[in-house]
Amino acid sequence: MQASRARLFKEYKEVQREKAADPDIQLVCDDSNIFKWTALIKGPSETPYEGGVFQLAFSVPEQYPLQPPQVRFLTKIFHPNVHFKTGEICLDILKNAWSPAWTLQSVCRAIIALMGHPEPDSPLNCDSGNLLRSGDIRGFQSMARMYTRLAAMPKKG
Amino acid sequence: MEDGVGSEEDYYDSDRESLDGLENEESDPQWVPAKGPSCKVITKESLLAAQREDLRRVMDLLSLREHHARTLLIHYRWDVEKVFAVLVEKGKARLFAEAGVSVVENHDADSPVLSSTETCDICMEDLPSSEVTKMDCGHCFCNSCWTEHFIVKINEGQSKRIRCMAYKCFAICDEGIIRTLVSKRHPDLAEKFDRFLLESYIEDNKMVKWCPSTPHCGSAIRVENDEFCEVECSCGFQFCFSCLSEAHSPCSCLMWELWIKKCRDESETVNWITVHTKPCPKCHKPVEKNGGCNLVSCICGQAFCWLCGGATGRDHTWSHITGHSCGRYKEDREKKAERAKRDLYRYMHYHNRYKAHTDSFEQESRLRETIREKVSNLEERDSRLRDFSWVTNGLYRLFRSRRALSYSYPFAFYMFGDDLFKDEMTNEERELKQHLFEDQQQQLEANVEKLSKFIEEPFDQYDEDKIMEIRMQVINLCVITDTLCKKMYECIENDLLGSLQFGIHNIAPYQSKGIERATELTVFWSATANDTGKFHKPDEQTGGTTESDRPSGSGSSDDNGCSSRKRAREGSFGGSLFDLNLPADVIDRN
Ligand SMILES: [Zn+2]
Ligand SMILES: [Zn+2]
Ligand SMILES: [Zn+2]
Ligand SMILES: [Zn+2]
Ligand SMILES: [Zn+2]
Ligand SMILES: [Zn+2]
Ligand SMILES: [Zn+2]
Repeated sequence: MQASRARLFKEYKEVQREKAADPDIQLVCDDSNIFKWTALIKGPSETPYEGGVFQLAFSVPEQYPLQPPQVRFLTKIFHPNVHFKTGEICLDILKNAWSPAWTLQSVCRAIIALMGHPEPDSPLNCDSGNLLRSGDIRGFQSMARMYTRLAAMPKKG
Repeated sequence: MEDGVGSEEDYYDSDRESLDGLENEESDPQWVPAKGPSCKVITKESLLAAQREDLRRVMDLLSLREHHARTLLIHYRWDVEKVFAVLVEKGKARLFAEAGVSVVENHDADSPVLSSTETCDICMEDLPSSEVTKMDCGHCFCNSCWTEHFIVKINEGQSKRIRCMAYKCFAICDEGIIRTLVSKRHPDLAEKFDRFLLESYIEDNKMVKWCPSTPHCGSAIRVENDEFCEVECSCGFQFCFSCLSEAHSPCSCLMWELWIKKCRDESETVNWITVHTKPCPKCHKPVEKNGGCNLVSCICGQAFCWLCGGATGRDHTWSHITGHSCGRYKEDREKKAERAKRDLYRYMHYHNRYKAHTDSFEQESRLRETIREKVSNLEERDSRLRDFSWVTNGLYRLFRSRRALSYSYPFAFYMFGDDLFKDEMTNEERELKQHLFEDQQQQLEANVEKLSKFIEEPFDQYDEDKIMEIRMQVINLCVITDTLCKKMYECIENDLLGSLQFGIHNIAPYQSKGIERATELTVFWSATANDTGKFHKPDEQTGGTTESDRPSGSGSSDDNGCSSRKRAREGSFGGSLFDLNLPADVIDRN
């Protein structure tokens, strides 16, 4: 408990210091609870998520960093490894490949990488997984783009 | 019973033929499994030694330190041969990498520390280098983070393979470091860790299993060559090593599992009731149908239609009930009833025979006492007859064969039934094989009954000539039943199970001498005494493997047998009637 708190505090300070270093990620700690974080990440360019800003919710366990944080998308996203309803993410480093050397910041980076390189073989969103697996890349991209526009872009007017 | 052989020659030349035959068979490698004492009892005390024996072999061959050898062996489930095979096949580097062993060749392990402080990537603290630890894989974190990591993993039950904390590093942490760090903060957890490591030798080892006795005797059994075998633990419990239930050969493990379930459920009986009785629509008591008429009446007076169960009036013809039109499902139901009846009869046929042999087996266990009396009566008589090993050998052979016979019925039930091998054989093939098998089974059965009859005779009251005659019969029948048992097992293994497509049915090989009793583990550091592939006759003299030769009780722990054996072992030979471990001539000499 104490260790995780100390570590999160270190990460907090690091985030404050490096704010400008990674403009694609904006990590924010909950005012009253250091175990709750949110992040805004920019959809990577040359993907259907480009131009979108996606919100992630972190829930950090007391055993952190020995155990991985729980992360999910708050913003709707059409992606084969993200559960469409719950926003749950299927990513190995959040499960058995977790290493305590990871930080919340590096997790965000891994999620951005996942947006650019979906893994259709372990899909949480079967529809998008099937589209990709069947080779219908255009179909997948247009669906993903549509949801990005609908959910992840600031409303005009 | 071979034990009695040596002394027989002195008396009867007529024995020679059968006995020679037996001896020939004994040297036939198929006949006696080509191995010496192969099952070992591993007690809490010898567990460490047992583990060390395997560790040592790997350490010597690969010049490894103990914890690396253990990591390797845990990964390869304590299969030393497998480790060697992977070494030859894939080379040392792959062998180590797959198991997560990282051996540092001393290069940068002691390289001068550049700075006096290091940053731990986990807690992000800057710490003096005395407070950080570098694993063999080269990754370095602070002691406190390592310790936390180990504690979490041990509590998660992953003690046996705790991986390094670095991302994508698959190295297994040095158990020495784990022990040291954890014991500083959590001594009892360090102990738990050590126990896990130790017990991994049993838990993760295909060739070692805990003895399934209840209450647990605390021992484990290690087999050397074949996991399909039957063993007896030093606590006296006999079991099938493969499935851990009672010894059940020549029935396969799967068949045995199905059989006991079937016997427990009595599902056939339930079937019978559902097919042959129906609840009365008024009082709901089960009513049995008798005769062909479909109008049945309950003792409460209610009449109803058998086919649909609906209440009716009493006027009817043979096929029609007045005012009631029904008749649906008639054919289907009758077919079902027919099949259920046939299945039930079939089950009953096999079950009755199985039960009959199990029952006589239990009765015959009581024979032991009577036999003991008879022999002591005979011994008191002043006669030229002095060797009575044939009596105990005969009794033992009776037990042994009876056992094989009783388990051969559940085997036959599944072998020739529809449950398991419906698509494996044509009907003709099945019929042919069934005849072949039943022929052998019946021969064995007939001879077992004969043997039983002779053993039960009050021969201690007979005159010498008559006794000699019975003795001859018993000796011959022993040889015959033993040979028939062996043939039956061979037929099952080769002709019946061997021809199946999927080899999931395995049986323990026939052991003429009975279920092998595991011997206490003694560790030979250099010698491979267990691996010498030959059956050693001298073992019989020392009572090594042949401990199991005593008459054995039904699969459950049999304290009588156990204690009588112990008495025989420690005490004088004179009273050791039931010590079949000893060749008759040894008993005689005493
Ligand atoms: Zn490492
Ligand atoms: Zn640390
Ligand atoms: Zn035991
Ligand atoms: Zn079994
Ligand atoms: Zn009634
Ligand atoms: Zn009638
Ligand atoms: Zn009816």
